[in-house]
Amino acid sequence: MTSYSKTAAKRSGDSPLIARGLLWPSIIFLALITQIPFLVTIYLSLHNWNLMRPDMGITFSGISNFVDIVKRPEFWEVLKNTFLFTVFCLGMCLVSGMALALLLNRDFLGKGIIRTMFVSPFFIMPAVSGIVWKTVLLNPNFGFMAYLSSKLGVSPTDWLGQWPLTTIVFVVAWEWIPFFMLVLLAGLQSVSPDLMEASLLDGATKMQQFFHVTIPHLLRYIEVALLLGLIFIMQTFGEIYVTTSGGPGYASTNLSFYLYRLGFQGWDVGGASAVGVIMVVLTTIFMTILFKFMRRTFGGGLS
Amino acid sequence: MRKLFPSLLTSITYLLALIYFAPVLWILLTGFKNEGDAVAMPPSIIFTPTLDNYRMILESGAGSYLGHSAVVSILSTFLALALGVPAAYALAILKLKKADDILFWFISTKMLPAVGIIIPLYLIIKQLHLLDSLIALIVLYTAMNVPLVVWMMRSFFKDVPYDTIEAYRVDGASGLQGFFKITLPLVRPGIMSTALLCLIFVWNEFFIGVSLTSTSAVTMPVYMASFMTQEGLFWAKMSSVASVAVLPALVLGWFTQRQLVRGLTMGAVKG
Repeated sequence: MTSYSKTAAKRSGDSPLIARGLLWPSIIFLALITQIPFLVTIYLSLHNWNLMRPDMGITFSGISNFVDIVKRPEFWEVLKNTFLFTVFCLGMCLVSGMALALLLNRDFLGKGIIRTMFVSPFFIMPAVSGIVWKTVLLNPNFGFMAYLSSKLGVSPTDWLGQWPLTTIVFVVAWEWIPFFMLVLLAGLQSVSPDLMEASLLDGATKMQQFFHVTIPHLLRYIEVALLLGLIFIMQTFGEIYVTTSGGPGYASTNLSFYLYRLGFQGWDVGGASAVGVIMVVLTTIFMTILFKFMRRTFGGGLS
Repeated sequence: MRKLFPSLLTSITYLLALIYFAPVLWILLTGFKNEGDAVAMPPSIIFTPTLDNYRMILESGAGSYLGHSAVVSILSTFLALALGVPAAYALAILKLKKADDILFWFISTKMLPAVGIIIPLYLIIKQLHLLDSLIALIVLYTAMNVPLVVWMMRSFFKDVPYDTIEAYRVDGASGLQGFFKITLPLVRPGIMSTALLCLIFVWNEFFIGVSLTSTSAVTMPVYMASFMTQEGLFWAKMSSVASVAVLPALVLGWFTQRQLVRGLTMGAVKG
């Protein structure tokens, strides 16, 4: 591949100038909008600055913002929430997405429509999903779940009040299971039929076939789904905003929402920036580990 | 027995699909109910449809939020394509030495959580007197989608057989001419599905919207959030607004289903 590309470049006579002209506008734009502000976040995290107290001005404070935050009990609750939320949500998405993908990887009447129905929640904006679940399904007085419990003769549960984090996991999973289903379905459909046939001829049972042929083939699809799911689910914000606003207390606040509370409700620029830095560092650690994984798996596909 | 099992599985699939889709169906139906029918439990399937809610939201000025969302989505998608497609072309066709590293840099910007940069962005945009403006949203949403465009379009350009691109060079066409006349038309379906995905993402974006707007540049998701309190008690009205808010993304999503996997996995997996 490398030798081919070298000769190809020579033959086509592309000047590096053209390549630069095509690439640089987007690189400069992205660096300006996403990278430089992050450097500013780091700078701000080392300063005391509260927009509600302009009289106090901006003063350099070293790492005191970080020390303050780590000392707060709610920070550890938020960290635990973020971790549990992400892990449980990803787990639910993977298991349910797999089950749905297997159900859809068969021939039956109206397959296209059924798939469309399953995919739909993925396109519903988080603000709407959150509100509809909160009011229509889970409202302890008028919601559908309350109606169901009264029919079953049990007293209705205030889902978002009693189990806020778990309930939001379900809302977010409802939106993200379709994504896992689609990726895994693509994986299932790309299993080579020859291989399946060969394994059957070799006397493998359906079960053995699933675990020894299908699952190994699916691994890379599972990785991709988990990686992307991780990025988005870790940053869940809209669903929390419209359902519980992070409460009661900090019971359903994750890192994203914690930053919002500090920055846009408390106007503590320094503290919020420190949380932003922590969030990015944690994401980077996760990503680096997963990237190594991906580079290894997709090494060939990327060059 | 052998015939029973598959049809049982199919029935289960139908039932699950119905349950899974029910909340979406509820939104779309309840928008056409009056408030009395809307809160009936169990939800009524048969009712006298009314357009009152839609008339009401037209009068309430929700149209302007819809307009904001449309302008912001369309312009930022267009800009993201204008910036991202040439870069993707360079990375896919021109065989640069560091193409891999540049690609990973692009995707890494997508992985930087928005919360990591929102505070400085807020302060800078405030300094520029652009808080609560559509321009600020358009610029940020463009940045949000450029990595997606680069990754998706690169994988589409890679599918163009190299010989085709080589052929017009032999014919003596300049690089630019060939790009517009030959390569671009070949990847048109790819550009379409990339654009659709960008539109959907911007249309649904909430965090940046709620952080940077307050009154005059409010988009649909941010407006929807106002229904979380008292307004949410009027289910019929809420559902009609929600229908208007979700339908564009839903319909675009239905159309782009086939390319969705490739788009969402940024070309790492082909659907």
